[in-house]
Amino acid sequence: MAKFLRHVQYELFLLPILIVYSLFTIYPLIRSFVLSLTNFNGYSLDYDFVGFRNYIQLFSDDAIVSGISFTLLFALGTTFLITVLAIPLALLLDRPFLTKNLHRAIFFFPSIPSGLLLAFIWGFILSPVQSGVLNSILHDTLHIGPFPWLSDPVLAKLSTILVATWAATGWHAILYLAFLQSIPKDYYEAASIDGANRWQITRHITLPLLAPAMTVSVMLLLTGGLKVFEVPFALTNGGPGFETHSITQVIVLRGITETQFGFASAMSVVFFLIVMTIAVIQVTVMQKREERIQ
Amino acid sequence: MTDSQRRLSILDLVMLPVGMIMFAPFYLIIINTFKTEREAISSPLSLPKEWNFDTYIHIFEQTSIVRSFGNSLILTVCSVLLMVLIGAMAAYPIVFNPNKLNRLLMFYLLAGFMIPFQTTLIPLFQLMTSLQLVNKLYGLILLYLGGAVFVFFLILGYMRTIPKELSEAAIIDGCSIGGIFWRIILPLLKPITVTSAIFQTMWIWNDFLAPLLFLSSRSNSTLVLEIYKAKGEFTVNWPMFMTMTVLTLIPIFIFFILMQKQIVKGIVGGAVKG
Repeated sequence: MAKFLRHVQYELFLLPILIVYSLFTIYPLIRSFVLSLTNFNGYSLDYDFVGFRNYIQLFSDDAIVSGISFTLLFALGTTFLITVLAIPLALLLDRPFLTKNLHRAIFFFPSIPSGLLLAFIWGFILSPVQSGVLNSILHDTLHIGPFPWLSDPVLAKLSTILVATWAATGWHAILYLAFLQSIPKDYYEAASIDGANRWQITRHITLPLLAPAMTVSVMLLLTGGLKVFEVPFALTNGGPGFETHSITQVIVLRGITETQFGFASAMSVVFFLIVMTIAVIQVTVMQKREERIQ
Repeated sequence: MTDSQRRLSILDLVMLPVGMIMFAPFYLIIINTFKTEREAISSPLSLPKEWNFDTYIHIFEQTSIVRSFGNSLILTVCSVLLMVLIGAMAAYPIVFNPNKLNRLLMFYLLAGFMIPFQTTLIPLFQLMTSLQLVNKLYGLILLYLGGAVFVFFLILGYMRTIPKELSEAAIIDGCSIGGIFWRIILPLLKPITVTSAIFQTMWIWNDFLAPLLFLSSRSNSTLVLEIYKAKGEFTVNWPMFMTMTVLTLIPIFIFFILMQKQIVKGIVGGAVKG
């Protein structure tokens, strides 16, 4: 009896998290699956099960098709650019120089404020009019422009990806830096005794040992990129047209603004499957790569 | 070579311009807050001809920035404290009273780690409406508490490093199950609770989507939401909007300066162990 009471006392500690988590995460997740098979519009309670009709309809919705393609482009583009920039940046910030700490802080800081704020700041710089900051710099120095940074389909996509890259590169460089500093110094000493030069050491010791960091960083970038909302929303408001709509923005638009709950839920389920599939494939592939390299 | 180099090296000369370009957006908005509207539009790049603080005074007098700062503070502090607390509580029975049921519950909680918030958005919106939690700060706090699974995940690994003998000895001395948690375990968790609190603070302070959907009235606005609304109102008045942005950045900057080492430690700990 006393043992049973002790078990109960322990279990009570789990109660609060089980309640909030079940109510605000698991229940809505299951309900998303159920709603996605209905034509519920948020008001009338006599909605019907429509099977997979919502899922089929997804592919004839312009906002959703461009939402999915832009989100994939954004996730892949930012992942690629940030990885390519963060690794050399981490290597540089690992070297001793006078303003090292200042530069670590400068590169790291943009990952601290809200994405919404950063995107608004860039909205001022990229303003497409002649007097926009970037356009006036380009006009004064190179006598070119003005460029429609945020209103041309291609430039708007590019601007969004570059702003996100600016904001997150420092954070990921710090992640790589952490792994760099955990590499035992003996490896470097052994290599330099064997007559390896700096490039050879980087190529054959440092970069392979960064493979686990890359798995983590790329996973965070891909899943974060797929879930993006603030940056395109604040920078271009998803425009021009639906060119820079993110999947999340489409869910909010179709679901909450237009109360097509069933349809938006189908979108959410597809989104869930995309995130899961990409994350699982990426981690599996990159862990295999880690084993091969080391 | 040592870390404390006294002289500028080539690397400094290479990095300084790059760093300046990285920081330029912040520099730009700061200098423009001291200009008149016309000057900000006509010469956004140059330093102000005359430094004037009118927009700062105007913001404090005319907008509810102080109130929304308070709302953000209440929202963040309450959510983070509760989240860290219930996350740590949940890890306690899993680590110190392992059995089949707890193993199952652990997997149930860890599953939620991968669920994107956006997937649950539509039913969440319905749920919040039917529970009449929309447009209430405590409603949003409750909603954020679902995020305690992340804290739980971080604390779980850390708690496993605490020797079991500690709690066994306390039980023999007659300490209750609850007493052990509050008096022995919780204080020992300090490093990891600080790390998780910083991560959750950054998430909630900066969150936009949830306040946008669940806090409709102006009196409940958070700072980020207020910036969003200001953007619409001040479209023509850039100095006003930028002053608001700068004022919002000040607390973030102070947080960054104070917590930089801890944030870096968190990234390192989370990534290397996870």
